[in-house]
Amino acid sequence: MKKVCTFIIIMLLAMVLSGSGCAEKGASIPVSENQEKEFTGRQITVCSGAGLIKPMNELIANFENETGADIEVRYGGSAEIFGILTSKECDVFIPGDYFYTGQAMEKNYVFNESVANLTLHVPVIAVPEENPANISGLEDLANPRVKLALGDPNGPAIGRVSEAIFTKAGILPEVENNTIVKTATVNQLLIYVVSGEVDATIIWEDMASWSEASGKLEIIPIPEEQNKIKTIPTAVSIYTEDPELAEAFNVYIAGEEAEEVWEKWGFEPCDS
Amino acid sequence: MKSPDTNHSWFRNLTIGIAFFFTFLLLLSIGVLLFVLKPSEILSALLSEEMFYSMKLSMLTSSASTLSVMCCSIPTAYALSRFSFPGKSLIKAVLGLPMAFPELVMGLALLLLFGHGFLGPYLEAAGIKVTFTKLGIVVAQFFVAFPYAVRVIYSTFEDINPRYEQVSRSFGYGEFETFRHVTLPMARSGLFASSIITFARCIGAFGAVLVLAGGSYMHTEVLPVTLYLNISYGNLEMAVTSGILLMGIAFLAILSFERFEGGKL
Repeated sequence: MKKVCTFIIIMLLAMVLSGSGCAEKGASIPVSENQEKEFTGRQITVCSGAGLIKPMNELIANFENETGADIEVRYGGSAEIFGILTSKECDVFIPGDYFYTGQAMEKNYVFNESVANLTLHVPVIAVPEENPANISGLEDLANPRVKLALGDPNGPAIGRVSEAIFTKAGILPEVENNTIVKTATVNQLLIYVVSGEVDATIIWEDMASWSEASGKLEIIPIPEEQNKIKTIPTAVSIYTEDPELAEAFNVYIAGEEAEEVWEKWGFEPCDS
Repeated sequence: MKSPDTNHSWFRNLTIGIAFFFTFLLLLSIGVLLFVLKPSEILSALLSEEMFYSMKLSMLTSSASTLSVMCCSIPTAYALSRFSFPGKSLIKAVLGLPMAFPELVMGLALLLLFGHGFLGPYLEAAGIKVTFTKLGIVVAQFFVAFPYAVRVIYSTFEDINPRYEQVSRSFGYGEFETFRHVTLPMARSGLFASSIITFARCIGAFGAVLVLAGGSYMHTEVLPVTLYLNISYGNLEMAVTSGILLMGIAFLAILSFERFEGGKL
């Protein structure tokens, strides 16, 4: 029975993994009610890090209900959505790490004044339930015979960050040796750790709150002095064709109302 | 009196028109891929270490999988075509399944089967590691291509009149000798065509390979994975070039398939 449950849960995860651009839409509202709403009939595209899929789907549904706007969303690895931003297909850009927004600001792809920090993004060690390799901290990941899955440093934000963490701890070569798979999105890591294929991985703390993960993995925090805590920023693309709507969405997801949703999905607000 | 030709000419023209229009559209979309990059960009992407690695690994794994698929699908298809036995229709239905569901599902199923929770520990005790290895690529490609190969070879055997085999048997040759000296040579062009289709299917297999073998950079990176990884790295040149390579291989495969099936282009 437990095997069957695991299988179903992993199937759900696979759908999240393959989830590019197909967000669930909130229930459609009849046109008559819709008319007074601010942005009825207007549409923008949001490019979001794949790791933000849970809160983002909820925030988008709420925003659509309140304003009548139609928000398309594309989820992907941070480097991937950066590529979509450069091809002028995004109105709002929300990567998993400030690094990418910094790059976008440098190259004038986003309005600098629109950049707002949403939440903290905290890397943690995730191990399968019962912690088969007895991992208690970062150093244990360097032990020979520990099997690791990590994000590809060129792909998702978590890949760059975990490489930086291991470099700082001085165990990068050992960890590289232990890494049996590198993935292009952070969600794929979750599958491998939940199914017990690897002994540990580095993912974002918030992902542990996903129902898919609960009870299937354990989280081991990384002490702050060893960690590289990131912020998730949002920004409006200078190529947007509807700056008014893009700005409104940008402000909404950084606002107080949205904070509850971020916290519900395990994200820590920036100021705490 | 109207000739039947002119009578139906609007219908004829309509169908031919539709055929041309959509072929043109498809050709256009393929052509776009060829023209987004400058030749120098394609060349430098082709000559990069990553592309070399990926091409070599693709060729190696696909050859290995094609060989094993052929070895297993010929007897399977022969059994299904010539003999009746209990569970035959069940086998045919199960073999058809992977053609109907996405490859990602296949990959996930294989990951759970060969992974830590089920066969993994036994295989590992025997020194065989499937998940996240090059062997995993072959296994994934095998299961993706096998049903197609069985299907094609099955219809090849079905097209051969069993009377030839009966004649051979009446001369006192055994089942296996008849199979080797009569059926196989007669099925030659069909077998060749199906091995080409299998090879193309193996080299194009993506979802199953990504999940089972992990799709790691320069480790289990075959051509479709190169395309996927470089999309996620935001590296258009490499992504488009691996797309062009895959299309070239598919084109060659279809071309030789058409020729060996006796069709003309």
